Amino acid sequence: MSKPISAINRYKADLRELFFLAFEQFGLTELLGKAPFDAWGEEEVRQSVSECYRWVREVSGPLNAIGDAEGCRIEGGAVLTPKGFKDAWKKLYEAGWKSIGVSPEFGGAGAPKCVVLFIEELLCGANTAFTMYSGLTYGASEVIESFGTEEQKHLYCPRMFGGQWGGTMCLTEPSAGSDVGAARTSATLNPDGTYSIKGTKIYISAGDHDLAENIVHLVLARVEGAPAGTKGLTLFIVPKVRTNKDGTLGTANDVTVGSIEHKMGINGSATCVLNFGENGACIGVPVGGDTKLNQGMSQMFKMMNGARIAVGMQGYSVASSAYLNALEYAKERKQGASITHWKDATAPRVSIIEHADVRRMLLDMKSRVEGIRALAVKLARHQDTVDALTATGGDDKVIAYHQGQVDLLVPLVKAYGSDQGFRVCETAIQTYGGAGYTRDYPVEQYCRDAKIFSIYEGTNHIQAMDLVGRKLGQAGGANLQAFLGDVGKFVAKNSEHPALGAAVKSLGEAAQATFAASMKLLMWFQSGNLALVPLTANRFLEMMSELAVAWVLLDGAVIADAKKTGLAEGSPDIAFYAGKVHAALFFARNVLPGVEHKAKLMDLEDKTPLDIPDAAFATV
Amino acid sequence: MKILVPLKRVSDPDNANKIKVGAGKVETTGLEWKPNPFDEYAVETALRLTENGTNAKARLGEVTVVTFGPKETETTLRAALATGADKAIRVDTTDDAIDGDLLARALKALVEREKPDLVLLGKQQVDGDANQVAQLLAEYLGWPQATFAGQITSEADKALLVSREVDGGSIKLRVTLPAVVSVDLRIVNAVGVTSMHTPPTHKYSDGVRFAALMAIMAAKKKSLTEVKLTDLSPDTALKIKYTGFDLPPARKAGVKIKTVAELVQKLKTEAKVL
Repeated sequence: MSKPISAINRYKADLRELFFLAFEQFGLTELLGKAPFDAWGEEEVRQSVSECYRWVREVSGPLNAIGDAEGCRIEGGAVLTPKGFKDAWKKLYEAGWKSIGVSPEFGGAGAPKCVVLFIEELLCGANTAFTMYSGLTYGASEVIESFGTEEQKHLYCPRMFGGQWGGTMCLTEPSAGSDVGAARTSATLNPDGTYSIKGTKIYISAGDHDLAENIVHLVLARVEGAPAGTKGLTLFIVPKVRTNKDGTLGTANDVTVGSIEHKMGINGSATCVLNFGENGACIGVPVGGDTKLNQGMSQMFKMMNGARIAVGMQGYSVASSAYLNALEYAKERKQGASITHWKDATAPRVSIIEHADVRRMLLDMKSRVEGIRALAVKLARHQDTVDALTATGGDDKVIAYHQGQVDLLVPLVKAYGSDQGFRVCETAIQTYGGAGYTRDYPVEQYCRDAKIFSIYEGTNHIQAMDLVGRKLGQAGGANLQAFLGDVGKFVAKNSEHPALGAAVKSLGEAAQATFAASMKLLMWFQSGNLALVPLTANRFLEMMSELAVAWVLLDGAVIADAKKTGLAEGSPDIAFYAGKVHAALFFARNVLPGVEHKAKLMDLEDKTPLDIPDAAFATV
Repeated sequence: MKILVPLKRVSDPDNANKIKVGAGKVETTGLEWKPNPFDEYAVETALRLTENGTNAKARLGEVTVVTFGPKETETTLRAALATGADKAIRVDTTDDAIDGDLLARALKALVEREKPDLVLLGKQQVDGDANQVAQLLAEYLGWPQATFAGQITSEADKALLVSREVDGGSIKLRVTLPAVVSVDLRIVNAVGVTSMHTPPTHKYSDGVRFAALMAIMAAKKKSLTEVKLTDLSPDTALKIKYTGFDLPPARKAGVKIKTVAELVQKLKTEAKVL
């Protein structure tokens, strides 16, 4: 008989770290109490984050392992979510956590993006699969809020932001994955001005469920006669159940669930094959009305920044809990003697945290989790500045600088956050040893759940191509220059720092190497040596991410180092600030030097993956 | 019904930073604070008595929370306001300037000023564990008291049926308001409180309710007033005097015994239990 999976929370977060980022490193307080964040003060931020942490540990966290073990199932053509999800969904919207970033117009609290990021980290880290449903609903509602007609906004947004109706994004088709432009789903104009939708969409997260009374699908489809490729795609609002203008529900809209996927992870999240219009009775209307035909891709793209940041956040949210669980285990688990007594068989057994390699793994996880989170918060802080300046009529040039940093950092946060998130989970399993491979501990589930993050919302190679193909040259290269300029200023200011100076100098060297590598990419573009670009794009993204992460870690460490002097004896902040300094030093000494090395690898211009004949990969 | 709930922040028992003793006092530097759990149960009880559980947004009474402490204890009050309390009062003082008796005398003055129908308290604080304020306050007010309530039913606007937890079971007391009631853990069970406003079939979630985001945002608009301790009790002399603090002695290392005979020997000569 297998062991029962019990409903206990395993999620852990270190809120002190979040508050350090908000209030000590990235100066969120400057934006609070003023437009557009008038309602927000430090106390509201602290209380919301603390209360949300309590909420996830008591409500959604205990459902994480259950949802994984039970998964979703189809009965009578409808998806049923795991036990407890329905009740948790109701409580989620009663508590209001999904309203935190919503504009007050639609009943939200209009919080800064930094704060939304914290709340989303807690929700996602405690139960990734459960959070998929509300995440997709939120994203779809945002699209309608940004591009819908007034009527569409008022019909859909309050109900979707409030959890009464769910939402999805339907892009992928059997033959249109990363190549979205190959989509074949069709839309045919009806005499009443609506469109008949026909086609099949696959891998639709939260595509069907029993949590909300309706589901509003946003479907990319091609209107008859529209151009081929992405230029001819229109985004349609296609509810599962037809909706009346007053928000009451009509008849079923011919949207059916073909099947759900059996997956490696996030098993509590239903990944659906959806069939639209199999009986010719599926009706949709374009987001924004008939004047917005063929603008589906640009509408999607404007929303993509948010979705990609969210996926990077998913990566570190799960990794963070994996790290904190591994840390707890390492302190408790006794195994082996200290290496200083290696010849003495009777030496006392020690906690595994006393073993050097376990300490290395723990600090490796800590530095990656905290560094990537800090980078995501820096990005969100730029977004908040854009929002604050836009609301108060700030300088266009300053707004352009901040927006430029947002655009540049998005692929880093998405790809590096998701790649490293998975790897941190793997290291967490290694820290546990055999116990980590069992379902008695949460880390193996974290690892399985985390793998999808590097794949969906644009694979990480797509992120890398977005970085080198679009973002490096964006605004004539000004965004990259501004980024490297900011790093340069930090290096100039801190390279003589007594504790961190050497690490700061190596940051300067990594910045040089990254700049040289970006020039190399530009040269390959210009000299027609295009094949080298996709071969090295992932490596370049990693280099730039490691540079950025090392920078924000060292920046935090400089602040922490200054703050730790003058603390009263016994203050827990002494250890906290020491942790910031050690994490930054570890990353700067063990990861950052790899940036220069990777630049050298790029110089080799290796093309063996292209040179090898297909038949030479294997004889089978 | 108007209810007054005194609450206190206590050092978090899960504190990574353990309590230290120095210079004959408990060192509080670096401690993290949380509301006393029994006080949180009292707030939850007060909220359940003043609402219809099926529509908790409409308040059907008034809950005032009061704490005795420095400015930073207002965080504890704001948190209570965010879960639904209607207004808050902070009596400005510090932990070492009050004891249970002074607290009860000051609360008596506050009760005379605020005129609540009911004072609900946690049965004890998890730091000092004295368990005396409710009893003293009832005596000073000359009001009926019911302590360690595990279940409360509001029978009419001015009467409560209180089930008290005692050794070997429970005792039911009917108290006429105004009264002082202190609550125990079981009061926050799904059916711990039955209010005349709530259908008897309604079941709450076990435990203390969450603060909803919008309530957190709205909490700062609720009234929070400051009162001087001397305004409530001109006599601030303490009845309890602390002469010193010591940590419990550290546990000594044990010994391994090789034979039963040796064990018996030690039980006879060292432990002297045989």
